[in-house]
Amino acid sequence: MSHRVMITGLGVVSGFGLTTDEFWQGISHGRCAIRPLPPHDDLKIKVGATLPDYDEEKLFTSDELPYLDRFAQLSILAAEQAASDAKFTDDETLLNAAVIIGNAAGSKNTDEEVYEKIHKSKRPRVHPLAIIKGMHSSVASSVSRHLGIQGPVFSVSSACASGAHAIIQGSMMIQQGLVDVALVGGTDAPFPYVLLKAWEAMRVVSDDVCRPFSKDRKGMSLGEGAGVLVLESEEHAKQRGANIYAELAGYAMSADAGHITRPEVNSIAKTMKNALNNAGIRSEEVDYVNAHGTGTQSNDLAETQALHQVFGKHAKDIAVSSTKSMHGHVLGASSAIELIATVLAMNNGVIPPTINLTETDELCDLDYVANVPRHQKVEVAMSNSFAFGGLNAVLVLKTIDR
Amino acid sequence: MIFNKVAQIITKNAHCKIEDVKPESELMTLGIDSLKAITVLFELEEAFDVEIPNELIPSIVTVSDIVDKLEGVHH
Repeated sequence: MSHRVMITGLGVVSGFGLTTDEFWQGISHGRCAIRPLPPHDDLKIKVGATLPDYDEEKLFTSDELPYLDRFAQLSILAAEQAASDAKFTDDETLLNAAVIIGNAAGSKNTDEEVYEKIHKSKRPRVHPLAIIKGMHSSVASSVSRHLGIQGPVFSVSSACASGAHAIIQGSMMIQQGLVDVALVGGTDAPFPYVLLKAWEAMRVVSDDVCRPFSKDRKGMSLGEGAGVLVLESEEHAKQRGANIYAELAGYAMSADAGHITRPEVNSIAKTMKNALNNAGIRSEEVDYVNAHGTGTQSNDLAETQALHQVFGKHAKDIAVSSTKSMHGHVLGASSAIELIATVLAMNNGVIPPTINLTETDELCDLDYVANVPRHQKVEVAMSNSFAFGGLNAVLVLKTIDR
Repeated sequence: MIFNKVAQIITKNAHCKIEDVKPESELMTLGIDSLKAITVLFELEEAFDVEIPNELIPSIVTVSDIVDKLEGVHH
């Protein structure tokens, strides 16, 4: 028997602040968390959605900080919120839960510290916990240790679809009956100087703001943060009287095996169709699509063409928005943060807009909820992630009363 | 003075009182487990600008063992 999968807890850390509420207040009012970075003569990337006034020493102890890279810190902060939001009343539930967290960039903050010490400062040694701090899996193991979770715990990595792949892994475990509860999501902290230089070289980051689907779009804006959701089997959630935000009704994963950065229209369209089939949803039932919408010329065009292919005449009736225009592209965390944005849109009857959409592109001809939020009921929604390397993941949500 | 600096580093990592750190105190008893021990060794190496070889580590049990080794590698 396959168990249905419900979403019963949410936690976001983003450029809007350390709480889900600050995140929702920001995106549901069309505000922008992408702000000027500290001035640097040698960087062409001038803006990013960094965490405002983040002070790790106020949030973690001096014993914890030597083994917590910033990306793991954010993962813990989001997971603690999600677990608290789920309002578990017994210790057993969390003890046996799964933790699966995605990450794209890795522990670049730790790498930069280590390389600075050896190569620049010419020190003979680095901190002895640099290995522990720099482990990719620390984004999941740190959550396990902080919340006392002893079920299946690991990280996944699939570039900017990492969070979605983690969410799907957790969903599959619940469907199969392996666990009743899974904390799933993604995290990334991509602002170390060397990583910014690598992004700069790729020429895909906008020098001012991110304007998805606008004709004058110049690329993406980076963000940092984490998003974690509590997934729970329907039986378990109902038995304990949990607040159910939405049902994770279906999903699909695929790879383009083609161009390494540009999404392949047929491939991403097929993935969206497969996700709808998996959810048992007809395309005309979809009210809202939270787009991958990076703000690059190639992504936004390919995604628009794929949406036409999947939804046909219904494509123009669907609200499509890119919340990356507000919280930035949070890489491995993006798909989790955007799924949470979608869940909150369904629960609040407000669709967050695509901001900075100032110039119509005749090739991007859908309803992108331009610039201002829209009060609209959303019962069925889709969240897209099309990562570098051609790795795709699509998630489908529906309200529980459907 | 070497002892005072060693005591400071142990106190910081073990979260104990500095007056509890005596030459004869055993590191494990003070709360320095193996993971904290490698951090203490790192901080000592940084503070005294020395290398503490791995082969000396098994014979470090008490605070004075550390002080003796540091005096040894220092000279």
